[in-house]
Amino acid sequence: MKITSIIGKLTDLDKVSRLIVINGSTHILNAISELNSNNLNLSVPQKHMQILQELVNIKPYISGRDFSGDEGIIRLFEDLFNLKLKICEDYLCVGDEYENTMAELRKVHEDVRHISEDMAERAANIEKLQQYLNNVSYLRNTDLRLEEINNLNFMKFRLLMLSNENFKKLKLNIENVPAIIFQAAVFNGNTVIASITPKSLEEEAERIFISLNYKELELPQEFSGTIEDVINQINAKISNEKRQVEELRESVAEMSRTYSDTVFKAYTLLELEKKAEKLKQETALGSSMFFVFGFVPESEVEGVRIELKQYFGESIIFIADDVEDKRLGNAPPTKMKNISLFKPFESLISMYGMPSYGEKDPTPFFALSYMLMFGAMFGDMGQGLIILLAGLLISYRTANKSFGGILTRLGVSSMIFGALYGSIFGSEELMGALLIRPMANINTMLIGAIVLGIILITISYMYSLLNHYSSGNIEEGLFGREGLTGFLFFLTLVFGALGKATGELTVGIGLPIGIMVVLLLIMVFKQPLAGMLTGRRLYEDSPGDYYIEAGFGVIETILSVASNIISFIRVGAFALNHVGLYIAFAAMAEMLNSKTAGIMVLIIGNIFIIGLEGLIVFIQSLRLEYYELFSKYYSGYGVEYKPVGLFGKGDSGNEMV
Amino acid sequence: MDNVTRFAAVNTKIKSMEGELLKDEDYTLLLGLESVTEVAGYLKERTAYSEVLAEVDTGTIHRGMLENLIKQKMVKSIDRIIHYFTGDYKSFVKTLYAKYEIEELKILARAVYNGKDAAAFRNNVFVGKHSRIDTSKIYEAKYIRDIIYALQGSEFYKFLIPLIDGDFSENPFRFEMVMDMSYYSILQNKWSKLEKQDIKALEQAQGIIADLLNIQWIYRGIKFYRLSPEELLNYTINIGYRLDFNMLKTLCYSKSLEEFNRIVKSTRYGFMLKDDGTTDIYMERRMERYIYFELKSMMKNNALSIISTFAFIIFLQFEVKDIISIIEAIRYKVPADQAYKYIVKKI
Repeated sequence: MKITSIIGKLTDLDKVSRLIVINGSTHILNAISELNSNNLNLSVPQKHMQILQELVNIKPYISGRDFSGDEGIIRLFEDLFNLKLKICEDYLCVGDEYENTMAELRKVHEDVRHISEDMAERAANIEKLQQYLNNVSYLRNTDLRLEEINNLNFMKFRLLMLSNENFKKLKLNIENVPAIIFQAAVFNGNTVIASITPKSLEEEAERIFISLNYKELELPQEFSGTIEDVINQINAKISNEKRQVEELRESVAEMSRTYSDTVFKAYTLLELEKKAEKLKQETALGSSMFFVFGFVPESEVEGVRIELKQYFGESIIFIADDVEDKRLGNAPPTKMKNISLFKPFESLISMYGMPSYGEKDPTPFFALSYMLMFGAMFGDMGQGLIILLAGLLISYRTANKSFGGILTRLGVSSMIFGALYGSIFGSEELMGALLIRPMANINTMLIGAIVLGIILITISYMYSLLNHYSSGNIEEGLFGREGLTGFLFFLTLVFGALGKATGELTVGIGLPIGIMVVLLLIMVFKQPLAGMLTGRRLYEDSPGDYYIEAGFGVIETILSVASNIISFIRVGAFALNHVGLYIAFAAMAEMLNSKTAGIMVLIIGNIFIIGLEGLIVFIQSLRLEYYELFSKYYSGYGVEYKPVGLFGKGDSGNEMV
Repeated sequence: MDNVTRFAAVNTKIKSMEGELLKDEDYTLLLGLESVTEVAGYLKERTAYSEVLAEVDTGTIHRGMLENLIKQKMVKSIDRIIHYFTGDYKSFVKTLYAKYEIEELKILARAVYNGKDAAAFRNNVFVGKHSRIDTSKIYEAKYIRDIIYALQGSEFYKFLIPLIDGDFSENPFRFEMVMDMSYYSILQNKWSKLEKQDIKALEQAQGIIADLLNIQWIYRGIKFYRLSPEELLNYTINIGYRLDFNMLKTLCYSKSLEEFNRIVKSTRYGFMLKDDGTTDIYMERRMERYIYFELKSMMKNNALSIISTFAFIIFLQFEVKDIISIIEAIRYKVPADQAYKYIVKKI
């Protein structure tokens, strides 16, 4: 990563921001806060000294642009022409094309506006008619004629909708209501009633209905005849309106051939403009210059430099500096780069946290150990194949490529271990084991798991040492719990216990314990020790606080080193568990008399094992990674590299398979 | 889930929060204060209200702001309780917010109707708590109809549709009534999903409250409003505990206030009406004290039930109301030996 500064004339700001967006490899920083925090090292050439004067009067970019109107027009065309808008790379350009394109589109919009308004009006009309249809159909089973009930001289006929509770109130007090009420329908907690009121008492009835919070179901005035007739008339009118709408649509289709390219262009430029506007909000403006800062990967820096030079010649100053201050907050963003075998696992890493800049990307180790542990716990040819197929299905049918990718790889690993264990869909009779039968060698499995754990933890310590070495952290690297001292403590414990267990320890148990005590003491005094070596202060805070914390640290170290190792027993235990579950189902299948029923049980059992056991093993492996291993060597404080751009370049979720 | 697991934790929390409620001596001392800023200072220094007043300069605080902050404390307490629930119980407890939101919306609607600027109510604390709508639209309302449109998407909206249907005339009374009635509908709908014994307890607790409100409504209807008995009856709440529909009908159709008084006196709620001319002034306080003691005894008899939560939220409401009464009394220079009569808490 390089930190880049782009400085240019205010008049070029629009074009430069478009160029950066189209280029799509700059992770933008807020220029105002960069300038204010003074951690920026502007190595401005002598001839550009006047730039420094610009820095005196810095203000943020205030966007006064509102794209919602333009967006509305484009969306209207999308709807009208039945298009599926997407960004077309051919239309992208750095120049000021946007306004012209929009102006062209607005002119067309003038022409089509009355068509779209007409369509909207007709749609509203159809909705209204459909309501009438619905209302009238409550009277279906009567021989009323619509014009009769609409034109009563002394009575008023209405259809009303009340909530059931309110209808109950009305019913219980019906003797006091100046209206004849018929119940027409009940649905969804509402009751539809027909009410007939003498016109002289209408006001009183209305007040009562208001207190019941009624909703009037309007009857159309413009139709007449029996209810069946009216329904037919309304239906005819609706289909007529629908036909009209169709005709309008067709007339529009003609235009769509001529103008859809313009719509695509406008859409592309609009998206570009919006992104550029967002970028501009992160810039700082002087009285005649602007400043843009961002991180660009080293491989891309030259590309950006050349493009800027092409468009703007010498009028733009482009500086790419090495990042010097890597402390938290200023650290450059991280872009994980892995071969395709490991790539999907990046998503599990970023769930925990991105690697900080300069920290070793744990993905390869994570991916290998994760596949190893999953396979060991869930080794089965058949079930592994199912997981593999599910993974392939997910990666090709859904947008979630990384999860599909992870499943595919885990499936393969499971199949490999299935071959080693000789297991197909749980059954161990179909093939011989290439390596070991877990259930027949319980102790070997459990001890093997512990050995695997010790190896993985050792590799974690290596990673930790490398990370501490590259960050130059003496305190943690040499004397810390995850540093050299911690590693020696771990080794002493392992070999001490091993020697004691096998009886090969000839010097007595006192020596390893003695060594461990010394190592623990070093850990307690890690800060003052590091202080003495580097010549800096002995304690960062008060010594009292420090020793309390360090004291507890000792207890935690002893506990965690032991428990971390033992934790790996679960790898063996779940491998056994996996076989055990199948044995249970197999026993059930045998108990059944019919062969088909037995096969059914085995199928259900396999589904159950893949679903439940698969999930458990997935989580347990993750737990071992996150808790037992990451705590040793991985901080995950980094920031993800997210460049501005139109296609989400660097957005790791989209491109993995 | 059985009731021990459901309520043990929340009831313990409520017990501890009850300890934070104002004590008798707080009330006495508050009543003796002389200005709004002194009340604010006292609440900040000596009570749990410090939580909302910590960042505030009590020396320059004015009444409206202090009242909103006091309500804010209530919101914080209720939010804390909500965290202890899940599923249907959580959504029931959240519904209790609706009552307070409706109160604020009603006041807002009347203000808008009278041509006042809705933006002045921006600091309302309950608006949006139940409806979960974008409140900025509410505060831009120029007409009641705008408030209704702003409530689109909330549970209130379906009750309000008839108000904007057809020839709508701005009518704050209708808005108020519909909102009030909607609360009991929503509440019943939510509590119907709870466990049987909790429904029973709520039917009693909320039923008694509904009885009291119904009597108050009919009393005022007969005495002050010119409403027909049919309308009075239609606006009663249909979840009464001791007064059933027929009883309410009899009350609504009573020929005179005397007849009404006679009938009410024959019920358990006779205490609401006194012949010494104090009925109108003290009716509300009498109702509230009655509710307070009924809920207290229900809490004792239904230790592990939703009642503790239900009652505690009402106690919070009473305390907020009392503090606001005290502030008003101080503001309008009502002497302490008069003012104490208007507060719910018996001291």
